[in-house]
Amino acid sequence: MTTTDTPSTPVAVANLLDARGLVKSLGGKRVVDGVDLSCGPGEVLGLLGPNGAGKTTSLRMCYGFLRPDAGTIRIAGHDLVTEADAARRCLGVCTQDDTFDADFSVRGNLEQAGRYYRPRIPDLGRRIDELLDRFGLAPFADQMPETLSGGYKRRLMIARAVLHRPRVVFLDEPTTGLDPQARMAVWELVAGLRADGMAVVLTTHYMDEAERLSDTLLVLQSGSVRAKGPATQVLGDVVGEHIVVLPAGEARVAAWLAARGATPSTVLGTWHLPLDAAGLAAFVAAFPDLRYEVRAPTLDDLFMALAEERTP
Amino acid sequence: MNRSVFAAAFAWQSHAVLGRHVRVHLRKWHTALLPPVCEPLIMLLAFGVGLGSQMAALTWNGAPIGYLTYLAPGILAYTAFMTAFFQSLFSAYIRMHFQKSWEGQLTTMVRLDHVVWGEALWAASMATAYAGMVCLVLCGFGAIGWLDLHWWWLPVVLPLLFLTALAFSAVGLLFTSIIPSMDHMGLPFFLVIMPIGFASSTYFPLPDLPVLSQVVLLNPLHHLAEGLRFLLIAGTPTWHLAAGAGLCVVLLAVLMPIDMRLLRRRVFGDG
Repeated sequence: MTTTDTPSTPVAVANLLDARGLVKSLGGKRVVDGVDLSCGPGEVLGLLGPNGAGKTTSLRMCYGFLRPDAGTIRIAGHDLVTEADAARRCLGVCTQDDTFDADFSVRGNLEQAGRYYRPRIPDLGRRIDELLDRFGLAPFADQMPETLSGGYKRRLMIARAVLHRPRVVFLDEPTTGLDPQARMAVWELVAGLRADGMAVVLTTHYMDEAERLSDTLLVLQSGSVRAKGPATQVLGDVVGEHIVVLPAGEARVAAWLAARGATPSTVLGTWHLPLDAAGLAAFVAAFPDLRYEVRAPTLDDLFMALAEERTP
Repeated sequence: MNRSVFAAAFAWQSHAVLGRHVRVHLRKWHTALLPPVCEPLIMLLAFGVGLGSQMAALTWNGAPIGYLTYLAPGILAYTAFMTAFFQSLFSAYIRMHFQKSWEGQLTTMVRLDHVVWGEALWAASMATAYAGMVCLVLCGFGAIGWLDLHWWWLPVVLPLLFLTALAFSAVGLLFTSIIPSMDHMGLPFFLVIMPIGFASSTYFPLPDLPVLSQVVLLNPLHHLAEGLRFLLIAGTPTWHLAAGAGLCVVLLAVLMPIDMRLLRRRVFGDG
């Protein structure tokens, strides 16, 4: 156990988060099955997947809430099990629920959180002032957290997560329930953390958020990694390069799709057909008189594709 | 496993959690001071003075004794027991379940073992502080001539009261880990507080029944109350103090690993 008052020298590692072969069963069911996660300095890793895909369990293993049944997790080079204190000193966590201390003011929350770290945070008072200014919390510093709006509560949660200058930050659905303005304010903060050189691991259900913020997307499905890479690559791998949108029920198209063994997604009376370049060319040639729209795939399409993969 | 459970009691993280509870409590000292002062005062006046004046003298240790004198050591023991149990059950449950302050602490370098030990140490510290307040109230009764005790033993018994409180905080945390909801908070009172409290010689001497006299030998509160009584009234340390301390150590050794396991399952859904 380290109890000195000077911070340890940061370890230079390529992947500040390096989790390999994570396996976890809960209640007799394998929830995570061989997941690898990695994130480098100044990188944002977006973790996506439908409900029950294993995102939260993977994250909870990475910040030490759950112990993996198999696999290793290294935070800034420190093993989370055998060097627990050193690893935890390097990670910051913003949970999905607001978990600040209701008995302390905004400033008091940060002061109290600072007491849970060794080596102690250098110049804690100055660091708190800096974060209050940077996160727009200075006018509310002496208020109790429950009096803050949803957006400012999230800011406090993120400020607390980065108080000790961690090298890896986990943000579990940081904008859920926020209005658009507050969401964008949180996006700015996330961009700032990236600019500070932190490795940021983000989960979200908002597709635009994942696309805008993440350098790398990792898509989980049924506890395993389904796809990984930049958003465009992941979409291409899982969904296709183009989406053709047309009114549902066109018999000719249904027959054409059936012949190709494809099934369209139906959304509000429209079919959304994922096609690669060759498929699109064939579609255009097959239906020269049909009116339809061709658009780029989005992460919404990805979720729908994953949902259909899960449906037998 | 067990060794690491108990080593966590001495970790700086556990003391940081304890410090958090102390800090919150001290900010409310003016209201927090009322229960430990008023409760023994009311109990001693209502039962010791009021009810005691209606009773013939009790026979204790083969000699007649006033009820107020009999009651005073019992209230001291009962305060340590009740305060620790109450803190580790109600307050810990609220912090864990409603305030989610446990989860906030767990996102730092503090781990669940530390949070649980922080709760137990705080419950025991608070119970000891409350018992200290009871000592002051007893001194007040002594100053006006209503009580005559071996006063110099009072500071000596505080560490024993701390150990007893720590053991009963482990019992409280056991219920914190298993009760389904706040609606079930009454169960521990019926299952633990009332049986232990009534079969303990704290408020009244136990009837001379063969079965009961054997059962109370397993009750650390009974040994504490009787041990304090011998110490404060007769000025004699007895085997009751050693028996009470021994039972408390056994309670801690058995319950803390179970508490940790059950709370891990409750908080993280794991284990």
